[in-house]
Amino acid sequence: MKTSEETEVLEAVETAKFLSGGQALMESFLQEGVDLIFGYPGGAIMPIYDALYDYTDRINHVLVRHEQGAGHAAEGFARTSGKVGVCMATSGPGATNLVTPIADAIIDCTPLVAITGQVFSGLLGTDAFQETDVIGVTMPICKWNYQVVDPDEIPEVLAKAFFIAKSGKPGPVLIDITKDAQVKMMTKPFSYKKVEKLISYNPRVTPKADQVEKAAELINRAKKPYILFGHGILISQAMEEFKEFVEKTDIPCASTLLGISGISIEHPNYMGWLGMHGMYAPNVMTDKCDLIIAVGMRFDDRVTGDANLFAKQAKIVHIEIDPAEINKIKHADAPVVGDAKEALRLLLPLVKKGDFTAWKNEFRKLEAPEKELVTDRDLKAEGQIKMAEVVKMVSDKTKGEACIVVDVGQHQMVSARYYDYKKPHSYIASGGLGTMGYAIPAALGAKFGAPDREVVAFIGDGCFQMTIQELGTIAQSGLPVKLVILNNNFLGMVRQWQQLFFEKRYSFVELQNPDFITISKGFGLEANRVTERENLSDALDAMLASDKGYVLEVVVEKEENVFPMVPAGTSVSQIRLQ
Amino acid sequence: MTQYTICVYGENAVGLLNKITIIFTRRRINIESLTVSETVRKGVSRFTIGIKHEKREEVEKLVRQIRKVLEVLAVFGYLNDDIVYNEIALFKIPTPADAKPIDIDTINKVYKAWVVYWELDYVVIEKTGTEEEIFEFFRYLKPHGITEFVRSGRVAVGKTPQGLVEYLPEEMEWEYAI
Repeated sequence: MKTSEETEVLEAVETAKFLSGGQALMESFLQEGVDLIFGYPGGAIMPIYDALYDYTDRINHVLVRHEQGAGHAAEGFARTSGKVGVCMATSGPGATNLVTPIADAIIDCTPLVAITGQVFSGLLGTDAFQETDVIGVTMPICKWNYQVVDPDEIPEVLAKAFFIAKSGKPGPVLIDITKDAQVKMMTKPFSYKKVEKLISYNPRVTPKADQVEKAAELINRAKKPYILFGHGILISQAMEEFKEFVEKTDIPCASTLLGISGISIEHPNYMGWLGMHGMYAPNVMTDKCDLIIAVGMRFDDRVTGDANLFAKQAKIVHIEIDPAEINKIKHADAPVVGDAKEALRLLLPLVKKGDFTAWKNEFRKLEAPEKELVTDRDLKAEGQIKMAEVVKMVSDKTKGEACIVVDVGQHQMVSARYYDYKKPHSYIASGGLGTMGYAIPAALGAKFGAPDREVVAFIGDGCFQMTIQELGTIAQSGLPVKLVILNNNFLGMVRQWQQLFFEKRYSFVELQNPDFITISKGFGLEANRVTERENLSDALDAMLASDKGYVLEVVVEKEENVFPMVPAGTSVSQIRLQ
Repeated sequence: MTQYTICVYGENAVGLLNKITIIFTRRRINIESLTVSETVRKGVSRFTIGIKHEKREEVEKLVRQIRKVLEVLAVFGYLNDDIVYNEIALFKIPTPADAKPIDIDTINKVYKAWVVYWELDYVVIEKTGTEEEIFEFFRYLKPHGITEFVRSGRVAVGKTPQGLVEYLPEEMEWEYAI
């Protein structure tokens, strides 16, 4: 028989086995296979960081310089690795600094789990120090958010968070954990059960057979079918199925901006990408086809221009995982709700083998004017260095196999045009939100997600200064991330619009830039500047050969414009080549 | 402008109402009336939301977008013809000594309304009906002077033999609250 003293000791041992909320969070991360977190500590998240201290052998934490950087880095990681990106921040300002990356992730469907600390639950709603209602703030931009006030909830909530972030149409989930829930011990042993479906959320992966059949019927009947594919191909890893589908049907295809690298640029059916600054033929041919097969794309206004005028002669097959996207912008004659990979797999045996040589040639015929008026001019080695030359040169030197991360603006469009994307997941951009400052942190995240690939970022001089402090994060990580500043001393895209649509009234677009080289070196990165064309190739070789983080500033022509261009709100037929 | 009634079933969770109304705000649709209560299924709330809109397709988009909210289980959009609906209104009418007497018989028999509370100097009358019926009654009472008037949000059931709860996901063992 046990003495009362013995019982007490046994109970103490029992209790000691229970985890604190912070430890439960770390164990939940391990259960989900998380081995990398981008974050920044602060008052209300200190117990979680204290728990993390004992897990650094299993979980790598990257200390960013600003929480926005943590969010974008987690996005970059998610985009190249296919895993869920994880970022952490403290309450109040830490949490609000995550708002931009969360908004970015929801619109670009990037799986993200953001953990924020929160004040003690007893202080909620009292305007406590560093208290922000982050649940309220992020409600419209999160796929799901939840506030934890009890450590017992943590395993279940985290399992739900990871499931929601990565399933269906991926997106950001924010979990706000009060400080007491981080500190307190759980009242039961830690046990973790991964979530596979939820009563309120169970996205359809396999499309309905009748929808697939109807889509196949339209595809088989079409005389001039045209595939527009988007990010969905890459998210659902449907590259193989897509290629097979394209090859069997012989239908020409074009991608959206975020769909770039969904199929190799060398594929004979790939016609380029479309959109406001997309290529000529892919845009114009939306007016000529009789069927659009939209796969994993959502008819964004940067793709359609005036949506009422977009492809109005064509029927539409819309393959999409999110039912709310069906008929949102364009009426779908044959909606197929499901995962792109599954949908294509089911469609493949139902579609006829085709030969669309003549139809494809109509696309190719339109390449001549674009080459003459845009491409040749952009690549002509005359005057100051042009952005296109730099991108093209990097493309040649990396054989089209690097992972390109871009910021937002002219350089983003030029990078999409002139890099020969041969491998999937190679164009990492903030597409939907257009977040300037995305590229520096996202490039670091992308490198973590694809350590074996060369990661090169093209960044404008304006964007570079929005998250310039993350150069310190890159230096501390020791990773060879290559950043190319395409410096035209202007907010180039805005300047271009002011030139074309506001009578050259250049309102606040010229920058007095700092010495990027001194700054980069100050952060501990290698850095070099190129102003002359003859030095460009050697400078790029040196950058690519470096095994350290590297900033190469290329001074480019100041007033270069990006063409083709579909003026905002007009029909794609209004596309301008000059 | 056409009236629509949107019925949302959702998990009875903190903040869900906010998550739903944000979608109306984003699309600049004003909520005309709102009723929330727990259904017979424990943990499931029903939101009945009345709106006015010119374009049916926009309302359909709204419905699909509400369905995207994680805790939402099902959403239905209705035109007035598709549903049986009612509201409750309470009227506080002053009854000073020199006032014109209230004709309780007409109120009961013509307007199907009832005095639910009275004091020496006022009465409270309850009227259940559609918006039009309530406003008609309002006009009838107006000469008496109305001290206070309040209308509830709409409650509605669809004109179908089956109940909407039958559309809820089946996999779960539902507990009945009542």
